[in-house]
Amino acid sequence: MSQYELSGVGRSFTRGSALIHAVEDVELAIEPGEFVAIEGPSGSGKTTLLQLLGALDRPSSGRVFFAGRDLAGLSEKELAELRLRSFGFIFQQFNLIPTLTALENVEAKLAPLGASSAEQRQRAEAMLAEVGLASRAEHLPTQLSGGEQQRVAIARALSVEPQVILADEPTGNLDTRTGAEIVELLAGLASRHGSTVIVATHDATLAGRAPRRLAMRDGRLLAAVAA
Amino acid sequence: MFYLRYLRAELLRRRARTILTMLGLALGVGLVIAISSLSSGLERAQKATLDPLAGIGTDLTVTRSASESEGPFGGRGGGGREFVEANQAAVTDLSKLGKPGERFVHDFFLPGAQLTFSQSQAKEIAALDGVAAVSSGLTLQAVHQEGKVPEIVARVRTGGDRIDVARRITPPTEAELAQIQACIEKQGGGTGGGGEGGGLGGRGGGDGARGVRGALLGPNGGAFAKCLPKRMQEFRATITTPRETLEQVVNPPQTDIQSESYTIAGVETGKPGMGLVTPAQVIQGRFLSAGREALVSAAYAARHSLEVGSTLNLNGTKLEVVGLVEPPLGGQGADVYLPLAQLQTLSGQKDLVNVVLVRAEDSSSVATAEQSITESYAQAQVATSKQVADRISGSLVDAADLSHNLGIALSIVAAAAAFLLAALLALSSVGKRVRELGTLKALGWTQGKVVRQIAGESLAQGILGGLAGIVLGLVVIALINAFGPTLTASSTVGGFDVFGVQQAAQTASRTVSLTAPAEASILLAGFGLALLGGLLAGATGALRAARLRPADALRAVD
Repeated sequence: MSQYELSGVGRSFTRGSALIHAVEDVELAIEPGEFVAIEGPSGSGKTTLLQLLGALDRPSSGRVFFAGRDLAGLSEKELAELRLRSFGFIFQQFNLIPTLTALENVEAKLAPLGASSAEQRQRAEAMLAEVGLASRAEHLPTQLSGGEQQRVAIARALSVEPQVILADEPTGNLDTRTGAEIVELLAGLASRHGSTVIVATHDATLAGRAPRRLAMRDGRLLAAVAA
Repeated sequence: MFYLRYLRAELLRRRARTILTMLGLALGVGLVIAISSLSSGLERAQKATLDPLAGIGTDLTVTRSASESEGPFGGRGGGGREFVEANQAAVTDLSKLGKPGERFVHDFFLPGAQLTFSQSQAKEIAALDGVAAVSSGLTLQAVHQEGKVPEIVARVRTGGDRIDVARRITPPTEAELAQIQACIEKQGGGTGGGGEGGGLGGRGGGDGARGVRGALLGPNGGAFAKCLPKRMQEFRATITTPRETLEQVVNPPQTDIQSESYTIAGVETGKPGMGLVTPAQVIQGRFLSAGREALVSAAYAARHSLEVGSTLNLNGTKLEVVGLVEPPLGGQGADVYLPLAQLQTLSGQKDLVNVVLVRAEDSSSVATAEQSITESYAQAQVATSKQVADRISGSLVDAADLSHNLGIALSIVAAAAAFLLAALLALSSVGKRVRELGTLKALGWTQGKVVRQIAGESLAQGILGGLAGIVLGLVVIALINAFGPTLTASSTVGGFDVFGVQQAAQTASRTVSLTAPAEASILLAGFGLALLGGLLAGATGALRAARLRPADALRAVD
């Protein structure tokens, strides 16, 4: 059985009186350890699909199975638990907590696990070292460059050894060179930690780095893009 | 603990917001504390100053009016008119003070407008319904005079009057006649009354009575009179009143006589909890115990250079000043207080009092007590604390009224404003942090953890705001106490007054420096308000945070 199995997944919103179908009729299966890129222009439904995959949202129709479990049947608490232990998110805006240092931002992910403070700290420090930011552990996000911030986000996402890394336009706010570095880092770490990586992007370079490329238009998944 | 570090980081690294929220809460709390303290200070000042009867442990004062000639409250017999005269007559016989030209010092004690009644009658009031205790007092208007005994004294010569008396007397009885006869015979011829004697003899002793009458009316009657019975001899005596000269001042001329009025009150020393003066009013020295001791009002002491330990000489009775007192406002404070018995003796008002202070069993029985007293004693004039307090006016009263009416409203407004500000800041804070909260959810934080974090921050804000509010409140209190505005309370006395001394209409004023006591309870209440405000803000923010769907939260743009 695949890690992800999506059948007939749709997600619609009402905006005013209009019904918007952000994601429509998606059929998809993803195997563990895969590196998948979802390509598409803004508003094509990439982010919504990623949120459905990351248990941040529930589909309006169809089913999302993760590791054999129907996410629709899970409570909010179980979904939170799933997000905590199984998923790692990386965002275009980095989404670091502005009042916390790099180290504390990583700890924010570890804290709900209930490990001791010392363990949390150790783990966070190790992760920052892995992304090459050991020396900047005590810096606040505003004191870090975009690339550094995204490294912190990667360290945070990987700190709990998640099964899946979900990255939404991770290079969108970075210059080309830094973006490439981040992609390399993410790909390398993911393969080392054995995590599945699903990246939503409209950056062809980044998408080109992925062995499996999916294209999205108007909420629908098109046929796989040839590698 | 990560959550606490996060909380601290939020407060420390969002300093502007933290300080703004803290100041908002502190301002509200500080204002509530300051207003409450001020209100409490005013209440104290009011209790001490505006409630003079409460100050002397009394709910009612009973005096006796002069309106009725006879009444059950009359104690000394005789008609009311005589009573009024007895109570108002001021006999100032300067001639008794010494020889003209000599220096004299004398204190005259004049009963005031309030009539006296016997002390035992005052005690009967204690048995009436609703009355818990009574204490009687005697308040007199005293005039202290000193100077030379005036030279001009009217001389009134009396006596020397001759009084003629004409009156029928009963004729002598047979026994008296026989006695007279024997007397005359004994003195007989020696007096040479032969003619008459012959006359008598000629009658042959026929009618002895006539012979006697003849002798009585005869020219030699003077000698003959010696034989008359004693009552007839006395009758003949001429009554002459003795001559004497009375010296009396008709209209005392004002030479260099200095006159000064003051009020003097006798108090029951055995009842220090209530009375015309109570130990609570003593500002220096001690309260009266008994014997030859006196308390003087601070103002009187200042005028006469008296201090604790000084001696007060009242017509030769030396009294030691044992304390200075600050009388409660209301105009009824006397200048000098003595033990009741002392004043009764000094003023010649033995066993008499003119005011009875009544304490009711409780506040609800004041009306009962008042009623039972007026029913039992038609002449009794009963004044309640409220009536006394109502005669006091001034800025203190205005401020106290203001604090009563507006203080609570202001406090509520201040607290509400602080709450609103805190809640709005919490809301805007959550609003600005929507994406952050979404991220936390994406990281796997449960709803509960997010809400707990937000609420915890608000609560911490509340604590900080409360502490800052206490500091602010204390600063305001300190400022009030340092530059304490003064308020005045005045009471116009005259016409009717409480303790029986009729004074010329005069306004007694007291200036009160406003203090705001920093009471722990008020500070705690203020702190509690801040916590409540923090919790309220926290709940508002947390509710907003809880409603966020993580997907929407992440979609939010900064």
